[in-house]
Amino acid sequence: MFKPHYKPSLIERIAETLHLIPKLHGEGLNDHPLSDKELQSYPSPDKWDHWEEYESKKWPRKVKKSYSIVPTNCFNCEAGCGLLAYVDKETNAVKRFEGNPWHPSSRGRNCAKGPATINQINDTDRILYPLKRKGERGSGEWEQVTWEEALSDIAGKIAKALKEGRNNEVAYHVGRPGHEGYMERILNSWGIDGHNSHTNICSAASRFGYAIWHGYDRPSPDHANADFILLLSAHLESGHYFNPHAQRIMESMMNGTKVAVMDPRLSNTASMANYWMPTQPGSEAAILLAMAKILLDEKLYNREFLENWVNWQEYMEKEEPSKESTFENFIESLKSVYKEYTPEFAAQESGADIEMITKVAHEIGRAGSRFSSHVWRSASMGNEGGWAVARSLHFLNVLTGSVGTEGGTHPSAWQKVKPKPFDNPPAHKFWNELHFPNEYPLSHYEMSFILPHMLKDSDKKLDVYFTRVFNPVWTYPDGFTWMDVLTDHSKIGLHVALTPTWNETAFFADYVLPMGHSSERHDWISYETYTGKWVGFRQPVLREIARKQGKKFQFTWEVNPGEVWEEDEFWIELSWKIDKDDSLGIRKHFLSPYRPNEKITIDEYYQYAFEHLPGLKEHAAKENLSPLDYMRKYGVFEVSKKASNLHLKKVDTTGAETDKKSGIVKKDGKVIGVMVENEAYEGFPTPSRKQEIYSQTMVDWKWPEYRLPVYIKSHVHQDNIDSSKGEFTLLPTFRLPNLIHSRSGNAKWLVELSNKNPVWIHTSDAEKLKVKTGDLIRVNTEIGYFVNKAWVTEGIKPGVVACSHHIGRWRRVMDPNGNRWASNLADVTKDGSKYKIRILDGIRPYESEDPDTSRIYWSDGGVHQDITHAVHPDPISGAHCWHQKVTLEIAHYGDSYGDVVVDTEKSMEVYRTWLKKTRPAPGPDGLRRPLWFTRPLRPVDEKYYLK
Amino acid sequence: MKYGFIIDNRKCIGCHACTVACKAEHEVPIGVNRTWVKYIEKGTFPDSRRYFTVMRCNHCDNPPCVEICPVGALFQRDDGIVDFNNQRCIGCKSCTMACPYDSIYIDPDTGTAAKCNYCAPRVDNGLLPACVNVCPEQAIISGDLDNPQTEISRLLGRNQVTARKVEKGTVPKLFYINGEGSAMVPMAAPPTNNYQQFEQAAGVGHYAFKAAKRAIDIESEIISSRGNIPTGYQEENKSKYGVTLADGGGSRVDLMAQKATRTHDAPSKGILWGWELPAYLWSKAVAAGLFIVSSMTAIFSPYSVTDQFLWFSAITSLIFLVLTVLFLVKDLDKPMRFFYVLLRPQYGSWLARGGLIMTAFGFFVMVWIIGQLSGIDAIKNIAYIAGTASAVFLGVYTAFLLGQAKGIDFWQSPLMPYHMLAHTIMAGAATVLLYGLVSYDMNIIEISKKVLMGAIVANLVFTLSEIFSAHSTADQMLAAKIIFGKKYGNIFISLVLMGGNLLPLWLLVKAGFGLLLIPVALLVLLGIWVSDHIWIRAPQLIARS
Repeated sequence: MFKPHYKPSLIERIAETLHLIPKLHGEGLNDHPLSDKELQSYPSPDKWDHWEEYESKKWPRKVKKSYSIVPTNCFNCEAGCGLLAYVDKETNAVKRFEGNPWHPSSRGRNCAKGPATINQINDTDRILYPLKRKGERGSGEWEQVTWEEALSDIAGKIAKALKEGRNNEVAYHVGRPGHEGYMERILNSWGIDGHNSHTNICSAASRFGYAIWHGYDRPSPDHANADFILLLSAHLESGHYFNPHAQRIMESMMNGTKVAVMDPRLSNTASMANYWMPTQPGSEAAILLAMAKILLDEKLYNREFLENWVNWQEYMEKEEPSKESTFENFIESLKSVYKEYTPEFAAQESGADIEMITKVAHEIGRAGSRFSSHVWRSASMGNEGGWAVARSLHFLNVLTGSVGTEGGTHPSAWQKVKPKPFDNPPAHKFWNELHFPNEYPLSHYEMSFILPHMLKDSDKKLDVYFTRVFNPVWTYPDGFTWMDVLTDHSKIGLHVALTPTWNETAFFADYVLPMGHSSERHDWISYETYTGKWVGFRQPVLREIARKQGKKFQFTWEVNPGEVWEEDEFWIELSWKIDKDDSLGIRKHFLSPYRPNEKITIDEYYQYAFEHLPGLKEHAAKENLSPLDYMRKYGVFEVSKKASNLHLKKVDTTGAETDKKSGIVKKDGKVIGVMVENEAYEGFPTPSRKQEIYSQTMVDWKWPEYRLPVYIKSHVHQDNIDSSKGEFTLLPTFRLPNLIHSRSGNAKWLVELSNKNPVWIHTSDAEKLKVKTGDLIRVNTEIGYFVNKAWVTEGIKPGVVACSHHIGRWRRVMDPNGNRWASNLADVTKDGSKYKIRILDGIRPYESEDPDTSRIYWSDGGVHQDITHAVHPDPISGAHCWHQKVTLEIAHYGDSYGDVVVDTEKSMEVYRTWLKKTRPAPGPDGLRRPLWFTRPLRPVDEKYYLK
Repeated sequence: MKYGFIIDNRKCIGCHACTVACKAEHEVPIGVNRTWVKYIEKGTFPDSRRYFTVMRCNHCDNPPCVEICPVGALFQRDDGIVDFNNQRCIGCKSCTMACPYDSIYIDPDTGTAAKCNYCAPRVDNGLLPACVNVCPEQAIISGDLDNPQTEISRLLGRNQVTARKVEKGTVPKLFYINGEGSAMVPMAAPPTNNYQQFEQAAGVGHYAFKAAKRAIDIESEIISSRGNIPTGYQEENKSKYGVTLADGGGSRVDLMAQKATRTHDAPSKGILWGWELPAYLWSKAVAAGLFIVSSMTAIFSPYSVTDQFLWFSAITSLIFLVLTVLFLVKDLDKPMRFFYVLLRPQYGSWLARGGLIMTAFGFFVMVWIIGQLSGIDAIKNIAYIAGTASAVFLGVYTAFLLGQAKGIDFWQSPLMPYHMLAHTIMAGAATVLLYGLVSYDMNIIEISKKVLMGAIVANLVFTLSEIFSAHSTADQMLAAKIIFGKKYGNIFISLVLMGGNLLPLWLLVKAGFGLLLIPVALLVLLGIWVSDHIWIRAPQLIARS
């Protein structure tokens, strides 16, 4: 065993003395001054203003470099994990991002996308300046303009629309929000029903399933304290809030908690699960209701919670009017309702193992109030009637009394803190049927993905349309219909894209306005990532440093790279310009609370918001900091560690009236709570203030068959799939831990890990098709097809094929360079209503200031699949049902890898077919929508009525 | 103080946060990784599962990379961290062969070797490694193995762990809780270059050098390739840039009777010792062998040898020695630092020792020249004896260097020195034979024929033994299969066994003194070169991670 000392030999020392070779010694290479002490995770905050560390590239020479460390929060997904930006004092640029140990949600740890943020900042193809279209829309010619020009032009058009009463022609469409409460204020100040979002292709079905139970629309599972976890998701590796959830799921697992997963695909999560139930897509509710039946039959339910917090009296009155209204009769009635949902039936529908179904049901029963569960997209968003999956899952939480308990599943709203605005414009007085059409009265959020279809089939138009971190041409189903509409000036007047990177939708914009990444913008964020409540502050770190150095500037774009701006300031300036002559009543909502009659600055906005954040003032004062300065220093504040059982908050009944029959407590005409066992509690935001197993709303809105939680057969149910004809269910929504839709395309470290998305197909199916891994196959959908490679695997349920969501980016020859790590060069042609994408070239190395661009070692950029999906708006939740019935065949002669063909006339047909499934408004009293249903950017109540 | 790692596979979710955090911390170029995650899938649906294994330097207690580095660019700190100094590195890539874990890469920015260094710059600044910090599941645990109170020590005490290739004697300090067997043994689930989420289309690391030129070449091809996009799915082993289809070139053998597939990995770094090394072996054999055979002839031949012959030998030897050095320098990724082998030597390495041996040999050839020019026989005799001794070492030392390359099992052969000695004598005798034929020196022809025949027989014995005798590891066996199998089998049999040994042997016996012997000598030389080429290349196809 030869162990050389790090001591230069005599020869080396002589050679160095004679200057034959450079001198490399003198630094004590065995000097490790600090490594004997216990190593820390992070520099302590007292060192953040001046942090020194050794340069890795010059190591083992100990060359120190100094940094300013400024906290912010990640913008790559809605989890908003904490980040520390290391700003090189010499170059005044961010060098690197690490986690923020002060962040109670992410606790200093990040997924791969956190540290990769530096790639997005340094992308050599980055849009650095505001751009305006030069030639025809979509022609790929752009010219740089000033922010002033862009603001004036856009403001002018909006002002004109407002003055002419065309309020419904101005819309803001958001992909990734990444903030709380900001845009509602802006849009209300303009007085428009102008908010559209991506929720109906994201989570609207799950949300509906929860909301119909208890008004709150998202689950916040307390995984850390759970005794059993059921995931209809892949939350150990991807999905909404994956990092903070994955941390806590694993903590629980290491403490002995078991995890069950329902997923037709072998995700990483399914790999780690104790119970993997690979389900036939859409059959999940059958399993969940079979489990409910077991809980009911074997008395594993939580009597106290059911008796006190479920609207069983209403159920008995309406479902069993002839029986005495007792809890026991209620249980007996339920047992008979669910007697068909045997484990055998569930196993038959789903293909899952019958013993596993029973075992998991027993585990859930045993976990009782410490049962945490989660569904966000997956089965809810894949299937027609998918909202029933979420409803059935929540049913199990209700039965076990694990709603809002420690270790159970909370309503997300309990964990969210919205900023108190310095000024609250009144609710607007409009109802935009392009966002909430009457055919979908119960639609959980806006019918965003049929916007172009509705525009095509009507005279409506959008005069000013903002797409904000939003890429429907690529991410949404039927992107070519979007392309049709976006290129039609009679439908879209002015298209303004607010985006950090180039994307397939921005190619069809009139203005492309660069907005900052994680370290280049202001945002207030607060998410239900564990049982505590926290508020994070995203801040432009270079601006913060400039401020501390006493530099003078007005706007963030002056200190960001190029002229990259941020939305918060942009909207203030735009609103001010819209109301140029102060006649529209907008400016009054943008006046500083500290300097009378002056326009508010962004610092003042946050100063006010943080001053009014409960607990922050006192906490900051301990360090002699103002609330804003505290948030600038730490980037986050934990408002409370735990927020459980909030429905049990007592209400003050002085001056209130109680309805004897329902127990509802009203004060000043407003419902404030409900009586339970002679005490007044807050309860849940439903008509009964309780969990509604019986939904009168479903009856009122013409869906009586769904008044109770039941199983709804999916549009891709086995009855509709003929495998002898090569028909399969395509699962197109699975995600990868290191990618994020359109925003990771310019992050080299993320893209080098994953850049192609073959179609997963089970070995037995591949054999029948005579297909091997790598073979080209044509995947035919209702409206076209795409040509992709096969990936033969034992990790997918036979009969189901899967293709990942994030990959298949493209740009056309005329488009500016962008995302060249991930995007193919494509030819997009149109012949009548038929569109075709043909890939001219894959991904190639290229020259740039970044030497890594010439080292690109992959060429396969994957295949764009979403654009071949027809829209499937669920008639009740309004959510897009992502799964597609597809026919697989070997690629035809002349097919090329990456080919995409779609007939947009066929897409309109499918849209109209699904439209026929709806049961449109009006509902009771001429309402467009149930009054108790929340709605983003809710108008005044009177607009809820169809006049 | 003895730093080590635990990878806790009960917790690892395969999210690649560690991969990226490390890239960010050290500005690692794309294509190469200091740490990465390998995915293995096994089982039949629904009893299938995916396994994630974090791969990186094991900070061995007995690091073979430190031993083999000729210039001490890799070194072990007294706290157990194995670190590197890119100011010393000459880019010889011996370390990449020595590491059984494939953890070292050549940085395309600097042309020097790099690997995980436990974030030594952070550790010396009082901070934990970047990967430990970022991991959402805290599945990477670092700490002092010598201290029983640390988390790592406590976990080691109470958990079952595995480590990679412990039998190599490297004493790895990285342990896996719940390690998966088919991930620990690379060829149990060999690399394919065609993974679930990416396919490799070009070289990385050392081979990314050519990248810039490739980028320009390609610009002009773009539109003309309409409809024919290169998907990157490479034909077996065919790539200008060193991408290897490292499943042994089609000679897959199932090492574990469970069907495990590798579905994600770091890209293959390619065959790092290319044509230059076999070329150096060949020219070195000629230089050394020529001197040995001619010196021995000069001393022991019953006939006196001509001065012309001796001059030919000395000069030709020197020329081939210079050629050897040139090939070696050509191989280096930092060719301008080649003299570091002599001026910054780390004498534990046989490459550094080889530098001395080459210098000594060159010196003694010069001594002979001086002796010849001055006419002093005593000097010439010293040169013959010392020169021959150094020539033997010269011809053979690479076997010991290859023996230090613990990553390549096939080179851990006790027969290798003898195999190389046989090559040396063969090369020398063939060259002497050529001289004899060209200058009609019958005595020389007679002697060299006999020596050549003996050397060929010895070579056949050693070469075939290396292939067919018992192998102590599966990787050795696989390499032998590659050499004799689909990939190189035909070339090996035709150009080496037949053309380079058996045919010459037969012709030497049969063909008297005719000019037919000229092609025989050339065939022998060709056979040596091809044999060296296969011996260096084939075993590199066996995956080390």
